[in-house]
Amino acid sequence: MSERPTIEQYQQYIQDNDFHALKCKSCGAVIAPPKGMCYSCGGTDLEWTTVSGKGKLVSFTVIHIAAEEFQDETPYFVAIVELDEGTRITARLLGLDPTQPEKVKLGMPLKIDYETGKSGKVYIGFRPA
Amino acid sequence: MPLRETNIVSGAQTKFGKLEGLTLREIFAEAVDKATVGAGIPKEDIQAAFIGTFIPEMLVHQGHTAPLLADYAGLRGLPATRHEAACASGATALRAGIMAIESGLYDTVLVAAAEKMTSVSTNRATEALAAAADDEFESSMGLTFPGVFAIAAVAHMQEYGTTEEDMALVAVKAHRNAAKNPLAQFQKEISLEKAMTPRYIAWPLKLFDCSPISDGAAAIVLTNNERAKQYTDTPVKIVGTGQASASMNLCDRTSLTSFEASVRASRIAYDMAGLTPKDMDFAVVHDCFTIAEIIASEDIGFFKPGEGAKAVREGVTALDGSKPINPMGGLKAVGHPVGATGVKQAVVLYRELIGEAGANQVPNHNTAIMHNFGGTGATCVVNIMRRADA
Repeated sequence: MSERPTIEQYQQYIQDNDFHALKCKSCGAVIAPPKGMCYSCGGTDLEWTTVSGKGKLVSFTVIHIAAEEFQDETPYFVAIVELDEGTRITARLLGLDPTQPEKVKLGMPLKIDYETGKSGKVYIGFRPA
Repeated sequence: MPLRETNIVSGAQTKFGKLEGLTLREIFAEAVDKATVGAGIPKEDIQAAFIGTFIPEMLVHQGHTAPLLADYAGLRGLPATRHEAACASGATALRAGIMAIESGLYDTVLVAAAEKMTSVSTNRATEALAAAADDEFESSMGLTFPGVFAIAAVAHMQEYGTTEEDMALVAVKAHRNAAKNPLAQFQKEISLEKAMTPRYIAWPLKLFDCSPISDGAAAIVLTNNERAKQYTDTPVKIVGTGQASASMNLCDRTSLTSFEASVRASRIAYDMAGLTPKDMDFAVVHDCFTIAEIIASEDIGFFKPGEGAKAVREGVTALDGSKPINPMGGLKAVGHPVGATGVKQAVVLYRELIGEAGANQVPNHNTAIMHNFGGTGATCVVNIMRRADA
């Protein structure tokens, strides 16, 4: 019997460098981060799915002043990335120079990767494809 | 159909800024006193209190603030309820007051709001503010509040050609207006060059693109048509109100160049009032960051999408422009004691509409709109007000 997907499991997949999204069993829409239902069709029957890991850059910033927990990691990128499967997620941007943000081009192709922060926590990230 | 019964008959705010030596309840009581007895309205006439505070639990280690604040302000015994919607806490308290008057449940109510933010470290205040964003999916990745609006700025720059200088011009305007406002945190003009100082908080947003950490309180008294003239010859009617929500996280928004809750709340308010953006003489919008003012001016229909920056550049939104925005200085220069801001915005509309805004008086002041934004834009409240004799 399949269990209802939880946010805890979603976060664990990221910690395990094995990103999973949700998929609506009714209409097939891919959903990440998790929602309590599918906004495409209203379905509530959701299951885990893997994704291609390919996407494009929608927008981003470079954080210079952070909450205490993250201050040692500054400057760092936070970006909105649209996956080829259609859903958008918030992620770190990797393999680019945060001191030269003007060189980063919106729309650029990206592929999924992971970054371990100074705290040991794994962030979902994307680097240029 | 326009609202029928809600009149603002007084409005006041404390000075905004670092109010040293004063605690949350003292700041709150000062605003309440100014808006009640200070305006000739006996506290005995107040039948209920609707109170906005965002996060006193983290900032001053105090929950259950409504009865505590009401008691200290001399309103013991009244129904006092707290309303929380991050930076839109004040305006959600105001909407509760509006509903109380429109329903006929009460004749006269107080809407008041306060925040004390400077008694903790900047890091602690940043952490408290971050509680208004999506902790599980965004804040936990190190996204900050300035970061949220920076992402919107980058999208706006890409789509419409808005520049860092356009954003800096919003800050210059805010400081120019606040320089004339004795209740502002920063009563000092700044040059464009200074506003462009490259001290990045969240690229491309710099220090002068961001509103400050502040203490402050504001209060207004609402009453019905029958009572309004007892208190003032110049009541201001609230004729339309709208509120909407959106996803907390940015990645779930279909657009990053417009905030859907702002668009929805303003359309509801205009429809209720039977008015359009053309009917508005001026606006007070939630400029927590300079880009937020540019986007809000588009979202409330003052300018077409992408043309907000041009309006700033051409002086259209200046105090003496044809569509003044934030004539007293906005959040950027007057300060942003988070929970208090929505009520302060209503106080600004009230003072401008009755012609008592002093050096910050806009020339045309019959009808105006206020736009109060919560957190990442997950809540927006818009109210339209009109002088009763207009």
